Amino acid sequence: MLILRDYIISAASQINAAGGSNGFNPTNLGVSDFSLVATTLDTNNAYKFMSGIEGMDRFGTGPIRSAYFMLSSTELQGDFDNLTGSGFLSQWNYPTNASALPAEYGSVFNIRILTSSEAPVARAAIANSAGTTNDLYYNTVLGKQAITHINQDGYSMNLIYRDPYYSGMLAQNATLAVKFAQAQAITQDTAIRNLLSTRFSTLGV
Amino acid sequence: MAEYSRQAKGNFKAGGATAVINLPFQPTFVEFWNETNIAAAVAANKTCRGWWDANFLDAGGNNITMLEIYSNGSVTVFDVISNTASNPGVNSFFGGLSLQFGPSKQIVSSTAASPTVFTVTGHGYQVGDTVLLEGLFQSATTGQPQMAGIPFTISAITTNTFSVKWDSSGSNYTALSASPVGSTVKKILFPDLYFPGTLPISALTLAATTTVVTTKNHQLQVGQEVAFRIPTTWGPTQLNSLPNTVIPGSPIYGYVQSVTDQWTFVVNINSTGFTAFAPNQTVAATVGRSFAQVLAVGDVNSGGVQISSGSALYPSPLYSVGSLNSTSTINGPAIIGSYVNNTSQGFTIGSGTATNNTSAVIMATNDLIYWRASISDFGT
Repeated sequence: MLILRDYIISAASQINAAGGSNGFNPTNLGVSDFSLVATTLDTNNAYKFMSGIEGMDRFGTGPIRSAYFMLSSTELQGDFDNLTGSGFLSQWNYPTNASALPAEYGSVFNIRILTSSEAPVARAAIANSAGTTNDLYYNTVLGKQAITHINQDGYSMNLIYRDPYYSGMLAQNATLAVKFAQAQAITQDTAIRNLLSTRFSTLGV
Repeated sequence: MAEYSRQAKGNFKAGGATAVINLPFQPTFVEFWNETNIAAAVAANKTCRGWWDANFLDAGGNNITMLEIYSNGSVTVFDVISNTASNPGVNSFFGGLSLQFGPSKQIVSSTAASPTVFTVTGHGYQVGDTVLLEGLFQSATTGQPQMAGIPFTISAITTNTFSVKWDSSGSNYTALSASPVGSTVKKILFPDLYFPGTLPISALTLAATTTVVTTKNHQLQVGQEVAFRIPTTWGPTQLNSLPNTVIPGSPIYGYVQSVTDQWTFVVNINSTGFTAFAPNQTVAATVGRSFAQVLAVGDVNSGGVQISSGSALYPSPLYSVGSLNSTSTINGPAIIGSYVNNTSQGFTIGSGTATNNTSAVIMATNDLIYWRASISDFGT
């Protein structure tokens, strides 16, 4: 996943967020940024990952559009919460959670957001006119046909575990590893965009 | 030794610059021998051996490299190398899986010209280093923030200045002066985790073929397929790989016909009559502005059609290593023109000078160096 992550942030084109109000370039994420990226991918005939979720008669829920996936940092979850009421719907407010992924934080318009602590962040990479710096976040939005990985020579992933007894005669260390031979590929570059943003909320850390 | 330790050994012939040794781990101890100096008749001030430990610091906090040097006849003495940026010894490195920067340095002033020249006292950069500019506001409404946030590969240097490929001679740019607050530059330590990657466009010459100047080392090869992403404000959106109206479902792409230098290449798209490229962007619209980009769109594939003279793909593309834009990688041969994984780790050996015997250096050009590197189970 980390290999594919770095490959995508190096090789896919970028759109700077403009819909926020924090004064940096790119700005923090605004709902118009989600709309712009989804429109761009739609225009490029990208396939969406998920079909919509029909509305149900349940308090606090709303229907979900068919959607692309976006991978974002967990550090942006506060910014997503700030968009509640103007486009963001928490995963808990979906009519049903049956199709929600464990890492799914919510959705904005035609984009469903997955968050991870391993999403790419460039620390203090952007400064504004006052000289204040902000972190730069790479929010990768994907169409279904955008990327793939290829198992080479039919060699698929192996999970390796050797308990402490076999990993050292003092039985102090265990081995847990995976090994695989894979290649990553962007199969359709027009179906992928890195939506670059800074952060609005402070981390409080 | 238990299996968690890692050891490696090898040798290389010294070039004129710092040697980069890629390994499957980041060593904490390195030892090396200068075989050329040992094998030759004993000569004073020649280094025969050296070693480095990740935790071996001097009083100033420098991670020094120790040396054993011939002094008089076959007598050897010990010395150290301070291992600073300007006097490097052995250093380990880890490039990849993150975006890493060097220290921020204050920009003193700049020119509003093409190329744009920045003054940074004692910057220590070299031609070919890639840097990130931040802020660049002279006031809230003036300066050169149009260039901030773009990676630039330095094209020329003096001790206190460096040049980047950007035309800031337009009316919307104001030269920086008097060390404006928040205007800084920092080196991108590993700018090419994968290459060829996304490339900001610095200039476009629109004609029967399209000449592209990028802000950073493009790493493209002749025959590489490329796509443009040009926001409306930058001008020639006709180059964008929007769905082709003539061949539905086929985005508009171009091929690299020739490579001029690290920043410049020619694409086989006839852009005559397209809207001119417009680097004279306003300061007021800086917030939220996206940059014009060109990017490689995958493996070169002639589809079984023989590449020969006259073909748009002629001559056949070259693998990046050893070519005009060569970049060392840990990887073996790949499909020519395809993306190359450039993430790496290991250690470097510089050609620094000893602290006490200032006539002694680690290695001279063509010296044969044998090395051994390790990471230990116990101890750090």
